[in-house]
Amino acid sequence: MGLYDNIRNEVVGKLALRDPVVVQENVTIRDTVKAMRQEKLGCAIVLDGNRIPLGLFPESELTRLLSKNPAVVDEPIANHIKKDWPTVKITDPIARVLDALESHNVRFLIVVDEQGQLAGLTGQKGLMEYVAEHFPGQVIVQRIGGKPYPVEREGA
Amino acid sequence: MSDKKVPADEPEVFQDPLQNYEPKVFRDSLEKALAEESVAAIQYRPVAITAPDTPIYKAVEELANLQVACLLVEEEGRLVGVFSDRDVLDKVALEFEQLKDKAVREVMTKDPVFVYESDSSAAALSVMAVNGFRHVPVTDVKQKVLGIISPQRVTAFLRKHLQG
Repeated sequence: MGLYDNIRNEVVGKLALRDPVVVQENVTIRDTVKAMRQEKLGCAIVLDGNRIPLGLFPESELTRLLSKNPAVVDEPIANHIKKDWPTVKITDPIARVLDALESHNVRFLIVVDEQGQLAGLTGQKGLMEYVAEHFPGQVIVQRIGGKPYPVEREGA
Repeated sequence: MSDKKVPADEPEVFQDPLQNYEPKVFRDSLEKALAEESVAAIQYRPVAITAPDTPIYKAVEELANLQVACLLVEEEGRLVGVFSDRDVLDKVALEFEQLKDKAVREVMTKDPVFVYESDSSAAALSVMAVNGFRHVPVTDVKQKVLGIISPQRVTAFLRKHLQG
């Protein structure tokens, strides 16, 4: 079976989901940034008491806020989370991830279970890893840039 | 003119050295595209470029105003670094007051992994999936910036070929 079929038949749970950074509503952006740095993750999620996602704070929003008012880092995260962030169910086909990433133009997607509770985080990187897993012969053995080809001939 | 003679005991039958070659069969159009299409098949323009002595506050404004996640830093016509939302998060956000007037070269990611326009499209995916970089600069052989491949652009490439 090729990727075309897999992506329609396999479910989001087959992706390598990340454990998200979860913060309380009253936490400052400063403390949220510290948590995101520690977990090397570009977003944080705020949940309600039932583990239902209330919103997501992406690193792009941090850049936007800093460009307007650097003192914003001491404000509570609740004032700046993006509500109604797109979610996918863990049982949805992976094709839904592709659709959601493109239609919402976002980098991260919240993954929820059948009850709507937080189950993990995926996004563009997870999708790239999935493609790489399916086509290791094409993707993993590539020459990786970083050292340019020699422009001049070597040797005599 | 050559005067070469065929030995009497050798038949004069041409044997194609590729007669047993079987071209690779791809399972779907995406696999074929990954193997055969170059980086040029993925949209890599427009691109936002800045200079290494740009003040950090200005680079942050550029990211926000242009609504891009990554600036390529070019010096004397050569790619020298990238400055992205992730650099803002990791190095700038909590230190903004001390750093804002310093040059972006101090916090940019130096010597970024890049691809050439002629590399395979799979090379760009490899940088993202294996090396973990979300933005992949595209350069010519002299490292002059030609463009950038973002995850959104790769997603569009994947969709195009999955529909085939």
